[in-house]
Amino acid sequence: MNALTTLRIALRAILRSPLRSLLMLLGVAVGIAALIAIASVGEATRRETLEQFKRMVGTFDVVNISPGGARTRGMPSLTTVEPTLTFADAEAIRGGIPNVRRLATEQSAFDIDIQYRDRTATSSVWGVSADWMDIRGDEATVGRGISAEDNASVARVVVIGPDVRTALFPDEDPIGKTLRIAEVPFEVVGVLAPRGAGPGGSSLDNLMLMPVTTASKRLFNRDYLTGVTVQLQDPSKFDAARDAITILLRERHGIIPPVEDNFTISNPRAAVESVEAVGSTLSSILTGVGAIATLIGGVVIMTLMLMAVAERRREIGVRRALGATQRDVLRQFLAESAVIACLGGILGVVAGVAIAAVVAAQRNLPPVLLWQVMLGAVGVSALIGIVFGLQPAWRAARVDPIEALRA
Amino acid sequence: MKMISVEHLAKTYQRGDGTPVPALRDLTFDIEAGEFVTVRGASGSGKSSLLNIIGCLDTPTSGTYRLAGEDVSRWTDEQRSHLRNQRIGFVFQSFNLLPRTTALENVELPALYTGGPVDRGRARELLGRVGLKDRADHYISELSGGEQQRVALARALMNDPPLLLADEPTGNLDSASGEAVMELLTELNREGRTVVLVTHDERTASYARRELLIRDGLLASDRPLGQATEEAGRRPALTMVVGR
Repeated sequence: MNALTTLRIALRAILRSPLRSLLMLLGVAVGIAALIAIASVGEATRRETLEQFKRMVGTFDVVNISPGGARTRGMPSLTTVEPTLTFADAEAIRGGIPNVRRLATEQSAFDIDIQYRDRTATSSVWGVSADWMDIRGDEATVGRGISAEDNASVARVVVIGPDVRTALFPDEDPIGKTLRIAEVPFEVVGVLAPRGAGPGGSSLDNLMLMPVTTASKRLFNRDYLTGVTVQLQDPSKFDAARDAITILLRERHGIIPPVEDNFTISNPRAAVESVEAVGSTLSSILTGVGAIATLIGGVVIMTLMLMAVAERRREIGVRRALGATQRDVLRQFLAESAVIACLGGILGVVAGVAIAAVVAAQRNLPPVLLWQVMLGAVGVSALIGIVFGLQPAWRAARVDPIEALRA
Repeated sequence: MKMISVEHLAKTYQRGDGTPVPALRDLTFDIEAGEFVTVRGASGSGKSSLLNIIGCLDTPTSGTYRLAGEDVSRWTDEQRSHLRNQRIGFVFQSFNLLPRTTALENVELPALYTGGPVDRGRARELLGRVGLKDRADHYISELSGGEQQRVALARALMNDPPLLLADEPTGNLDSASGEAVMELLTELNREGRTVVLVTHDERTASYARRELLIRDGLLASDRPLGQATEEAGRRPALTMVVGR
């Protein structure tokens, strides 16, 4: 008996008991729907988290040096920072470490009050060197960014983030206007392109950039840095660069073992990986839940197929009398459970995608279609139909036609 | 040519406690191709065991069974399945049609197991032959008992087998329908098919031309049956009933 005939017989049998077929189909569909929904929402969340993180750090292929040892947590700001990283350190790295392509220095502080006429706003202030915006991937949509000349001349200029613009200049062109930070006047020379939401959905656009020299000498009156960002010629050689910078800075800072570093060198990619590791633990737990649901679908199939075999003993006997071999009967019942499970899988995928779409819409996540997972789910369903259909099919094949026909 | 040849055929079953129960002790007879034979015997005589072996649903414990010259007594289950499919047409007392399925689909059933394509045209033709041309697409539940047994007959003919086994084919039918079915069997026999019939009913048995009587697993008698004249006179009319 060829495969097509087997399939046709199976389809007829499926249609002959619509209720039982529907129950089996739903048994599989529920589990698969759960799996697909979990996988899709999980992947969408992961992608969104990654995207938010990327928007925050700007680029992954850099070395970040921040002051303070490994114990220091959070984002360094002038209010919390240890004064251990200096302009001179940055210049030493620029000159003494091979593989450095560009380097940017920064002095940041948070919750700084800004004034423009009768309006006020609170934002972070970032004193940055000329390459900072380029390395990070920031651009000015209006006006210009912070230049090397600004830094050289210690110019009192700022580039404001979109949130600051909205707060201080809701209906006027900010370029050329003068705002005040701690009574020091600054000229607005540019507006940053929006970055969007960062981790946790908070805005990344409530900030101001100014020359790091200006921040150091005219605003904060401090000459240590909150961070140095190094862009490497070859980002894959991060470890070598980290080691070289560590040796250089320990020497410059006069640190001898067993005293620990008073600076921290990190790579955004490593941070991303740790974020992803948390996400993948969660999603593997949820996937396990989905897998159990799918397994229950298999048990439903097995139970109902066993019932079907018991009910259809006479049919089996007739088929055997008319020439069906044991293998024909086995294949027929296997095909039935596989086809039903497969259809259940397809229904489950459709339902799962729909659930994921609703959840994604509610949580402002990007829509995600995981084609491989969807195909895999249908495959797994068929497999479940075959695996859990094997025992009932085997029982069907072993029905004694003489006994079955006698009844 | 001998269609069926059994020699010293014996079948012993094991009871649950291991005691052997002989159903067939020692049977030897031949049935020539083209014969119309009825097998008679009380319940427990071994008649059913014999029919199961002749129908290749079962194998003998000892002795040989030759079907069309081939010794099939030790064939495997799979080989016997193909044999049933190709050489034997079954007609049962309770029709044994698949429920919730059309007449046509039931007739096609044996063709599904041939390995080749299903000749739907032939299935329709056979339904026409048993007088059910217009009922082909009806579900089994929509057919009368007589019609159902005629569907079963068409199904038995689907793979054009040389041997027909009919086990109480009229047992569940009123006399008119029963006669129509027997008329069809007679006609199929006239075309050269060997028919082996199991029945208690004397009128049904009278269509056969030879009677084997089984008692206690042994052949008690083997005699030719005369053609009763009054029945011979009624047959042509019945042929018209079935549309030939």
